[in-house]
Amino acid sequence: MMYQYFKDMADGIEAKILQDPDLNNPRRKYALETARLGSRLYSGNNTVAWCGLAVPFNLLNVMGITSCFVEFVGAVLAATGTADPFLEEAEQAGFVGDTCGYHRTVIGAARKNIMPEPDFLIATTCPCSGGIAIMENLAAVFNKDLFVLNVPQEDSEQNVAYLADQIGDMVEFVTRHTGEPLDEDKLRQAVENTNRTRKIMEDIYQLAQNVPSPTDGRLLTNFGLVMPLFCGTEAAVEIAQAYKDEFTARVDNGIPGVPDEKLRLLWIQNRIQFNNPLVELLEKEYRANIVSDELNDIFWDPIDPQDPYPGMARRAIAIPLNGSIQRRIRHLQKLARAYSLDGAINPCNWGCRQGTGARGLISEGLKEIGVPVLNLEVDCVDKRNFAEGQLRTRVEAFIEMLASRPRPAP
Amino acid sequence: MSKNTEKIGYACAYTPLALIDAAGYTPYRILPMSECPDQAGQLLHDNLCPHVKRILDRAISKDLPEIHGVVLMNSCDAMRRLADAWRRVRPADNIILLDLPATADDAAVAYFAGELARLTESLSEWSAGNITNSDIETSLQQYNQLPPLFAKLRERSRQGKLAGGSTRMQTLYNEAMTAPFEISERSLKQALAEPVSKGPESNGIPVFLFGNVLPDPEALTFFESCGARIIEDDLCTGSRLFTPIELGENQDLLLQISRSLLTRPPCARTFDPGQPLKMAEDILTRTRASGARGVIGQTIKFCDPYLDRLPAVRETLRQAGIPLLLLEGDCSLRSIEQQRTRIEAFIEMMR
Repeated sequence: MMYQYFKDMADGIEAKILQDPDLNNPRRKYALETARLGSRLYSGNNTVAWCGLAVPFNLLNVMGITSCFVEFVGAVLAATGTADPFLEEAEQAGFVGDTCGYHRTVIGAARKNIMPEPDFLIATTCPCSGGIAIMENLAAVFNKDLFVLNVPQEDSEQNVAYLADQIGDMVEFVTRHTGEPLDEDKLRQAVENTNRTRKIMEDIYQLAQNVPSPTDGRLLTNFGLVMPLFCGTEAAVEIAQAYKDEFTARVDNGIPGVPDEKLRLLWIQNRIQFNNPLVELLEKEYRANIVSDELNDIFWDPIDPQDPYPGMARRAIAIPLNGSIQRRIRHLQKLARAYSLDGAINPCNWGCRQGTGARGLISEGLKEIGVPVLNLEVDCVDKRNFAEGQLRTRVEAFIEMLASRPRPAP
Repeated sequence: MSKNTEKIGYACAYTPLALIDAAGYTPYRILPMSECPDQAGQLLHDNLCPHVKRILDRAISKDLPEIHGVVLMNSCDAMRRLADAWRRVRPADNIILLDLPATADDAAVAYFAGELARLTESLSEWSAGNITNSDIETSLQQYNQLPPLFAKLRERSRQGKLAGGSTRMQTLYNEAMTAPFEISERSLKQALAEPVSKGPESNGIPVFLFGNVLPDPEALTFFESCGARIIEDDLCTGSRLFTPIELGENQDLLLQISRSLLTRPPCARTFDPGQPLKMAEDILTRTRASGARGVIGQTIKFCDPYLDRLPAVRETLRQAGIPLLLLEGDCSLRSIEQQRTRIEAFIEMMR
């Protein structure tokens, strides 16, 4: 089922691109690569690794592993409106509704044989306790070997060295399972590609900061989360370049992402993955543009191709969802200033202890610099309790409040 | 290092009490037992671990003795958020958050030893003193006296020969978690020196109690009033905190502490990737070894490390034919009392 879904998606997008090859549609290119990844995951012909979020995917790409963070499946199932039976399966098995919907969906999908069987699993302690617990469960369900990357909270010499060493151990773990050693030349090239992609993504985000912004509330959805899956490949460079070209053209030609943009918003952590009217409501009725997502940022330095593991370790440690809330707030404040934001929306994903658990501190931190936050309290994956009417009312009130305030200077 | 009467607060069973003691402080576990108003949810979120929220409530309400600092462990998301919120509500406090690996392989043990070195440096700074290896050894040997005392008392309690039973045990645990070593040691020895209780035979059903935070001694009384006799426990406010630190010859002290802490009977957040969900088998093994006829899992709400492993525990015990009752609470006796009917029915089923 899922293989066919991704294959059909990829075929359809490829056909559309072929119809008009000169049309630069970056989101289409991004969606195509996502669909191709999905096809590879489900094809049964590739070595597959289910992973935690902070795994260095570019390294696994070089080693010929088709890998993905498990929450990706939760998001895809939610986006296609098919998550409910898997959520129910998880709950029947005893995974209570208080826990993260991404993880419940994934464990339910695994129990229903919708998750492709991996060859092995690589968990990361970042971003959350729930994530690593689900990986432990998946290792038991699939009866496959599990490797764990303990990601320290802060960037120190000792911590970077510890994680870098673990990445080296991870490579040995993968080699033991595939019989294929790491090709150092390919790794160097992949790191160079990663750095190229990184630079172009920096440019994309810089362009998005323009007033009005060339992006809209959809173009960069999940971008910062998903692009690391492609990093190291030429495809990632091409996707990033397509976005940069599109945004450059829009800025040069005065084409905003949302016509007559009136309000600029930051989306905190994860988008609501299932179909919902929120972005349309914001854009059509209020000309409010989600110009920035918290995870759509470059928070890591270029990686040294000659000695990549420390750079990869630093990148994992620097993920905004890792480390202290004080650091996370500083990052959000930086985004707020850079993007000239009017307000922020925090979905407060139900069951997210690491993120939503700091809801009050985050609101305080942004309020300090004059950026109000709307806390939605929704489950980003489980739509069964989604109350559209209530959400609409709260969003409307928030937007009306924002609209009545003087705008921050760009 | 000379002793002082100042306290260092802590909140997790992975805290190396001997290091705090070696720095001349009394380790003081900030237990989630208070009548402070619920304010933590505003800073954090209501759907967060009540253990952490109650500790934070105590901090916000200043319902704490004088503490010279606080040592927190990155044992889970909620504890990390507690550290963040602590910095916000008590910015003048000395505070350290130690990274705690989720696994106990050699690299993790070595890394955690490094974290313990960082803790030692911080404690030295806070105390304006210098913690020597001799100080640490002395404290380790001292704290290593507590586990065998507790073990003897647990055996007596298991046999129904300890006046006060499991309620008394929890009172002794709480004292050991909050009072200076000398006071705890004295209380334990006094309890052991008492004549063996010849109280009435309990007709309570022997039960293995596992979970995380349940410090209220009245909660154990309550279980007994429902017909349960707690003959074995695996709680982080109980036996789990007081296990010996194995000391070998000529080995780095901090490495030994690290290894002992990471390899002791674990909280659900620590696991062996080579044996996923072994926690379920461990519970089964301990249940059988203790002679318990049933298992009560008492966890606090929103505790993901336990919530995500309980399905495996349930399935393993079901396959073994061992009755299991899962309870969720908010660290308060009140939240457990609301489940009296369920507990009584569970016990009755086993009669």
